[in-house]
Amino acid sequence: MTIGIPKALIYWKQPLFWETFFRELNFKVLLSPLTNKEIVEAGVKSSDPENCFSTKVFFGHLLWLDGKCDWIFVPRLKTNSEKLEYCPKFFGLPDLSKILVKTPILTETFDYRKEPFKKTLGKLGKKLGKEKKEVEKALERTFLREEQAKKKEEKDFFKKVQSKKKKIVLISHQYNLYDDYINLKIKEKLEKLEAEPIFIEEVPTSEIQNPIRQLADQIQNWPKFHWEFGKEIMEKIQGILNYDLAGAIEISSFQCGCDAVLKEFVEREFKQNKIPFLYLLIDEHTGEAGLQTRLEAFIDTLH
Amino acid sequence: MKKPIITFARWGNYTIAFKTLFEQLGLEVIPPEKTTSETIAEGVKISPEMYCFPLKVTLGNIIPSLKKGADTVFMVQNVGGSCRQRYYGVVQEKVLKEAGHNINFLDFRATPKDIYKKIKEVTGASFWQILRAFRFSLRKLRLIEKIEKRAQFYRPREIKRGATDKILQESFLKIEELKEEKDFPKLRKEILKSLSEIEIEKDKKPPRVALIGEIYTVCDPDINFDLESKLGKEGIEVYREMDLTYHVKKLIFPWKDWIIQRKINPYLKSTVGGHGRDAIYEMLHYVKEDFDGIIHLLPFGCMPEVTVRPILEKIHLESGIPFLSLSLDEQVAEAGINTRLEAFVDVVRNHYHNKKQS
Repeated sequence: MTIGIPKALIYWKQPLFWETFFRELNFKVLLSPLTNKEIVEAGVKSSDPENCFSTKVFFGHLLWLDGKCDWIFVPRLKTNSEKLEYCPKFFGLPDLSKILVKTPILTETFDYRKEPFKKTLGKLGKKLGKEKKEVEKALERTFLREEQAKKKEEKDFFKKVQSKKKKIVLISHQYNLYDDYINLKIKEKLEKLEAEPIFIEEVPTSEIQNPIRQLADQIQNWPKFHWEFGKEIMEKIQGILNYDLAGAIEISSFQCGCDAVLKEFVEREFKQNKIPFLYLLIDEHTGEAGLQTRLEAFIDTLH
Repeated sequence: MKKPIITFARWGNYTIAFKTLFEQLGLEVIPPEKTTSETIAEGVKISPEMYCFPLKVTLGNIIPSLKKGADTVFMVQNVGGSCRQRYYGVVQEKVLKEAGHNINFLDFRATPKDIYKKIKEVTGASFWQILRAFRFSLRKLRLIEKIEKRAQFYRPREIKRGATDKILQESFLKIEELKEEKDFPKLRKEILKSLSEIEIEKDKKPPRVALIGEIYTVCDPDINFDLESKLGKEGIEVYREMDLTYHVKKLIFPWKDWIIQRKINPYLKSTVGGHGRDAIYEMLHYVKEDFDGIIHLLPFGCMPEVTVRPILEKIHLESGIPFLSLSLDEQVAEAGINTRLEAFVDVVRNHYHNKKQS
């Protein structure tokens, strides 16, 4: 039995988790490759023209997996452990995937408001014919791996923060930051321009707790988001503002409805702190040359 | 405290009822400007580029009345679940303040308790006055919805072209001018009578087309280029279930949502925010009722409606019912919509005649 996981959108929310979990349960896991031109083209062709770019890329990955595995795993993520909602476009993904591909879709609804994560995983295991004990064991080992990876990331973060180069924070969703094809290798480009890019995602949770969180409650000048990423990004921005930043770049994919809201408040946050801010919109037509010029110009304005 | 001068978001013919509500509460009201391409352009100028269309339109309606002297804006948040409507208030307040308007923004959540509290605070009206104001505006709202529905029936059957629309516009004016609640029953009778006096071909069975989609675009004739009237004049009977009462009923009685979910389970197993589920439910219903066409209206990039559109297209392919999806935004021109509508009307007529023959 092979389970296919599209390496886009939801995958990047918990990059290691799903593949490790299924491997621990003794399934073969087939990951779709890193995003490339063919995948993007296939996705753009088959999805609704007004859908957001990230969803289009997701459908491209899905089509790549079609016929290559026994199941394709598309979870329905509704709320996270803080009972905050994911993007509403995630809610309908399994149903839309069913229309698009012939391979059966393996799905389960993850809703913390209704039941705890472990119970949902138990249900998922049952669908795959696994005992409750096996699932729990696999879950434990998966969590361990995840923790190790996180610790390493944290160490990297503190190393980066100490660096003498111009520190630039990149703000976006995980699926835009970690997918090099989608963000046109922005990290590499910034490094070549002798800047130190820091992903907002990398800011460890320890940074946003305690004094800063209390402060945020007092003078919070953004609305109480019901989206998990909204709250997370705004809080992490508060965390990273403590370090001496040279500039900030926000990347959002075209037609991302949530970013339209978020951008207003992210921008205001940096403007109030007098940090230069660049807003990049990416879609299937974004050219590398254009991005390079804008980045160079942006770096030149920093001091 | 200085008495606030109120303005609020415009929404088609319902604006009349909203205006009555605030007037009856003893507030000074400057109603939002009628939607034209100028007001839309003004709203677009200061609103976030990627935000959905209704935000830009309502902003454009508010700005002229702010210039006329209004200083307080009313906005309801959290009407449609997980969609962006929730943040209209905060974002509009932010951009208006950044544009240099010194305003007081009243943004309240759509729970009766919250609304009551805020209104009490602003107006100082007594409980009975608030209740009376709500009752009066609700009665007006119901009448507006009723004559809108009646007009959908009369338009394709009328003998003298445009007679229905003329009476409809006159009625809206009369409803708007009515100040005393005690005169309401008389006016209601008068309006309904004048509508029933329109000469029609009684035995005509015109092709039927349903409007589904996002509530704001479906209900506001200024935004959807008077779609209902255009189709009616082409001899097509328009149906639409979505209106404000439908939405309010759903807020009060949650089981309507459960019924909808059960009906659409083979297609979508979860809510997608807004009225995404309702669109699928309505489409399935109209397919079952053997309609001759369906028009799906949405603001460009509306998250729930874009998510369900592939599903609607699937139902369209399965059932063979003519289907047209129109995305509306500031760049859509009326001529383009007209061309697409004309082509669609031809398809609907063909479908209708083929069905008759077989």
